[in-house]
Amino acid sequence: MRVLLVEDDADLSRQLKAALGDAGYAVDHAPDGEEAHYLGQNEPYDVIVLDLGLPKIDGVSVLERWRREGKATPVLILTARGAWSDKVAGFDAGADDYLTKPFHTEELLARLRALLRRSAGIASATLACGGLRLDPRAARASVNGEPLRLTSLEYRLLHYMMMHQGRVISRTELVEHLYDQDFDRDSNTIEVFIGRVRKKVGSDRIETVRGLGYRLTPLAGESEAA
Amino acid sequence: MTGQAASNRRAKRPQDWGRWFGRPGRSLTRRLIWLASAWILVALVVAALVLTQAFQESALRRLGAMLNETIDEIVVGASRTPHGGLAPQIQDARTLRLLSGKYWQIMEVRPDGRLVSLARSNSLWSYDLTLPPDLPERLNAAFGDVITFNTTGPKGDAETREPLRVAASMKSIPRHEHPVIFIAAIDRSEVDADTRQFARVTLTALLILGLGLVSAVFIQVRIGLRPLFDLRDEIADVRKGKSARIGRSYPLEIKPLAEQVNRLLDHNQEVVDRQRTHVGNLAHALKTPISVMLAEAGTTQGDLPELVRRQTKVMQGQVDHHLRRARAAARAAHGLGETTPVAEVLDELAVMIEQVFRAKDVEIDWRAPDSLSFLGERQDLQEILGNLIENAAKFSKRRVRISAGGNGLGQMVLVVEDDGQGLPADQRDTVMQRGARLDESAPGSGLGLSIVDDLTRAYGGRLTLADSDMGGLKAVLELPAAQAD
Repeated sequence: MRVLLVEDDADLSRQLKAALGDAGYAVDHAPDGEEAHYLGQNEPYDVIVLDLGLPKIDGVSVLERWRREGKATPVLILTARGAWSDKVAGFDAGADDYLTKPFHTEELLARLRALLRRSAGIASATLACGGLRLDPRAARASVNGEPLRLTSLEYRLLHYMMMHQGRVISRTELVEHLYDQDFDRDSNTIEVFIGRVRKKVGSDRIETVRGLGYRLTPLAGESEAA
Repeated sequence: MTGQAASNRRAKRPQDWGRWFGRPGRSLTRRLIWLASAWILVALVVAALVLTQAFQESALRRLGAMLNETIDEIVVGASRTPHGGLAPQIQDARTLRLLSGKYWQIMEVRPDGRLVSLARSNSLWSYDLTLPPDLPERLNAAFGDVITFNTTGPKGDAETREPLRVAASMKSIPRHEHPVIFIAAIDRSEVDADTRQFARVTLTALLILGLGLVSAVFIQVRIGLRPLFDLRDEIADVRKGKSARIGRSYPLEIKPLAEQVNRLLDHNQEVVDRQRTHVGNLAHALKTPISVMLAEAGTTQGDLPELVRRQTKVMQGQVDHHLRRARAAARAAHGLGETTPVAEVLDELAVMIEQVFRAKDVEIDWRAPDSLSFLGERQDLQEILGNLIENAAKFSKRRVRISAGGNGLGQMVLVVEDDGQGLPADQRDTVMQRGARLDESAPGSGLGLSIVDDLTRAYGGRLTLADSDMGGLKAVLELPAAQAD
């Protein structure tokens, strides 16, 4: 497994390099944002550990660039700023996990293992409906290339609808597939989730068929191949 | 309380009468009212005096005219006496009746300065008019002119002698060796009484006018100074945190003051922000070295690594503590009137935390009306909910449930619960304390719940922990809300 370590502090870099090496990773180290961006862009890393406070280009900008350029490598951000607003900003930029300094090396290793497990199997058969795409194994979805940020329940709803696109799906059917137990099945639930998913994928993609249920269709003018 | 009592006592001491007369630094209202009242009083008293004086003078002028006539009559009568005698016959009834209040007398000035009466009115009987001793000299200086003065008449005893107005003139009479003084006198008491009456009426009228003016001044001052009181109230609101700046518009004179107060507030804000940034930067800058030392000390055994581990823990605690204080200070200065949509924050946090805990396949099911907003800063709500949801996710088996709703009374209730082991009642207080960690194996600094509790309190809200029917812990938050209808 190749890992890119982006960290400007020399001592921390040395420690992490040693720890990652001991854990069996092949480690490349970038001490600043520019080099990090270059390496991340050109080398096929399995995972990237990115410090946010970097010289030249800050970590969030580097991450945003990678994501804009279509790099999907899982990224764990290291940040001294533990406020949730900072964490949210990091995730908005495309991070997959975060770790607040100071941290234990073992925790970093555990998080990396989890990230790698999660990303294993990327580039599998994806479901598509017009500009809407869903990768069941990576549990990722996107609209026109823009990644969607869905909660697991929203994802599950969209997944089910994409597997049955073009067909009218009743609320009862949706509720049964949304929750795997007999759990919180009030009639409002589906409306709430349909509303949220619509907001994220575009409201025209999910059609309400009065009295019957909902139907997912590509937008007019979108071809299946789009 | 004691300060209040002391100032009350001080106010009663006599040397503090100055405050009632508007010494600078005391009440502006009182100063203005007292000054205006003093001026009104002085002006009115002067007016009363001037008016009374004018009234009296005009009355005396009328008396003087009558006296002049009498002098003319006795001069003419005296000069007409065929034998050179000076005994004019005057038919005015009042000069004939004894002590009638109207008198005349003719006197001769002898070379030795003595005055010798040549003739007098019947009303005088055998009395002489009381005359000032320097009269002959004054008359001589104004020879032929009439001089008027006051004196007392023959009527009444020593205390109640009638007041007289007297006119006198010195003339030389043909075939008469010495200069002769012609004197006419009339009772002045009526004029005096009239003057007194006039003064009384005038004074009463002016006093009423004065009272009216003082009340007008009082009202004027209260109305005129109202913007100042308003400004005072607004500044008090700023201090209490009810508003961020002076917002109302003020009259030209105190507008600059209001603007300066606002600039001062901005400046304070800047200073606080700068300090906060400094503290934040310093604290964050320390975190990397702390990480390094922790990691280094963790790999080796012995006394020194143990010491380093302990001390870096202390450092870490300090850093966290000061960061929280800096955030709290920033919160006190910011965040007025800001609203944050709850659903947005829940959505971004749910997506993010599910992703972090994907290894466990945590499922966060949240419900909040779109119209529900938190009355406060976004990053505070993120901090509160982020910590609560992260904790719930950390200790859950798989499920986290969040529900939010407003009560329509400016409050909302947020419930975060999980299906984990839960927390025994006796440990719930402990986890709210700073740095407390019950489960050392779960990641995190352990500060989560105490930060949530601090923040919630800062917003006047409440955090309570209970058992969830899902099996785990149930955190109930009450926070200020702004719900659109």
